[in-house]
Amino acid sequence: MQDFLTLLHYPFMQRAIAAGVLMGLLCGFLGSFVALRQLSFFSHAVGHAALVGIAMGVLLQVEPTWTLLPFTLLFGVAVLYLIDQTDLWSDSILNIVLSGALAIGVILTSFIKGYRGNLMGVLFGDILAVNLTDIGLTFLLLVVSVSILLATLRQQILLTLNQAVAKVQGVSVQFHRYLFVVLLSLTVAVAIKAVGILLVNAFLVIPASTAKLLSHQFKPYLIGSVAIGAFSSVIGMIVSGSLNFPSGPSIVLVQFCLFLLVFGFTKLTAAWIKL
Amino acid sequence: MTPDISPQFDTSIPVIKIDGLTVHRGRYAAVENVSFELMPGTSSAIVGPNGSGKSTLVQAILDLIPRTTGSVQIFGRPIRKLGTLRHDIGYMPQNFIFDRSFPISVTELVQLGWVKTERGMSRNAAITQALQRVNAAHLRHQAIGTLSGGELKRVLLAYCLVVPRRLLILDEAFAEVDVQGEADFYTLLDELRREESWTVLQVSHDLEMVGRHCDQVLCLNRSLVCSGQPEAALSPQNLLQTYGPAFSRYHHHH
Repeated sequence: MQDFLTLLHYPFMQRAIAAGVLMGLLCGFLGSFVALRQLSFFSHAVGHAALVGIAMGVLLQVEPTWTLLPFTLLFGVAVLYLIDQTDLWSDSILNIVLSGALAIGVILTSFIKGYRGNLMGVLFGDILAVNLTDIGLTFLLLVVSVSILLATLRQQILLTLNQAVAKVQGVSVQFHRYLFVVLLSLTVAVAIKAVGILLVNAFLVIPASTAKLLSHQFKPYLIGSVAIGAFSSVIGMIVSGSLNFPSGPSIVLVQFCLFLLVFGFTKLTAAWIKL
Repeated sequence: MTPDISPQFDTSIPVIKIDGLTVHRGRYAAVENVSFELMPGTSSAIVGPNGSGKSTLVQAILDLIPRTTGSVQIFGRPIRKLGTLRHDIGYMPQNFIFDRSFPISVTELVQLGWVKTERGMSRNAAITQALQRVNAAHLRHQAIGTLSGGELKRVLLAYCLVVPRRLLILDEAFAEVDVQGEADFYTLLDELRREESWTVLQVSHDLEMVGRHCDQVLCLNRSLVCSGQPEAALSPQNLLQTYGPAFSRYHHHH
């Protein structure tokens, strides 16, 4: 703990905590919709495809963020279009594009000359390496997502519950579906630098699922998901700093433990009520 | 209250007017050349065997699936030009709630149907009144996952009632409701029709209830086999033509 307090004096640690909390808030918020719309495999695919975006940045010798963002955005929209245009199951499509993108990504990576140690960083992320631009982007995305989704909350819930009913009520279902995928793809892209391709989905899925165990009303569920997301990041960073664990995995570990705790708690109370 | 004289409330304009409607599911014509009109304040039922295109017809009327040919007008306008008149339509499909574990309370669900209108009540008053009307006020804090099938149907009906509508479309809405619940539903629909001149269109399997509560029956078997008042439309001969010999044998023996 003493180590952690010393670490707090360093700007990189302050940035890491800010990024972690913002990421927890943003992913917890979008994740609550991802869980209900069963889009978690979608964000998983987008995350893996991000490798292409990163490799392109390295090959073109530009900051990978600026190739990653447009690439994941286009990828997300293209995949949704593909799902809408074919009769195939969406998980088949997602598997196809995930595999294709991963293959391209790995081949592109093989063209990168010299040091390729960054690959581990891409897979697991490094929250201590985030800069002010990353934090700014995350914050911007958080503000935009919260404003849009809260301003249209009635439509969002309705179209999550039943698209046909939403359409009859005049909700532009297609517009909102694509808009959400745009926000989700960008979120995955900005989160990857901090937590990596392999763990980004945890941020979207675990806090929301934990909140769903706790609440059977929508607003408490939404708030719970956001709060659990942010709380896990803070505790995860403390764990990481105190025990010298890698940061991203520490946060995910906290999310996972919270999930198990809540799961056990709900099972126990259910058993208690039966007694 | 001043009478509403805007043209869309004209009682001589049919609420739904369908002309030569054909809908394909793939290459198969699920609904073929159907035409009918529903006048304001009437209650109509679409009956027919499974796979006769009842839900397809309803979905095509609501523009949820594309139609091959024909025209559909609601309140005298094509559905895409309805604008805010859409709020005058209540739609309750058979499988409104796919996922019973969806974290939403009864109040939150009913609230989804509410929109601010000039003449309407405040949101909370409207929700309370809608829930009272379907005898579900005591359920308002419950999660939808804890409701019985019949309770959920009543809450969904409250969702439809939370703002004044002019057209209510129910697609096998009473499939999971017990006999008493179904009778209560029909009484409430009759009341809405009488007092607020709602127009009701429903897909139903219960020919007895249809005969008792509807003004018009549309027998569908891909195309319209018969239509008219229940006594005439539900004649043994028409039923034979709509449902085929198996059903009419069943009907005679019981």
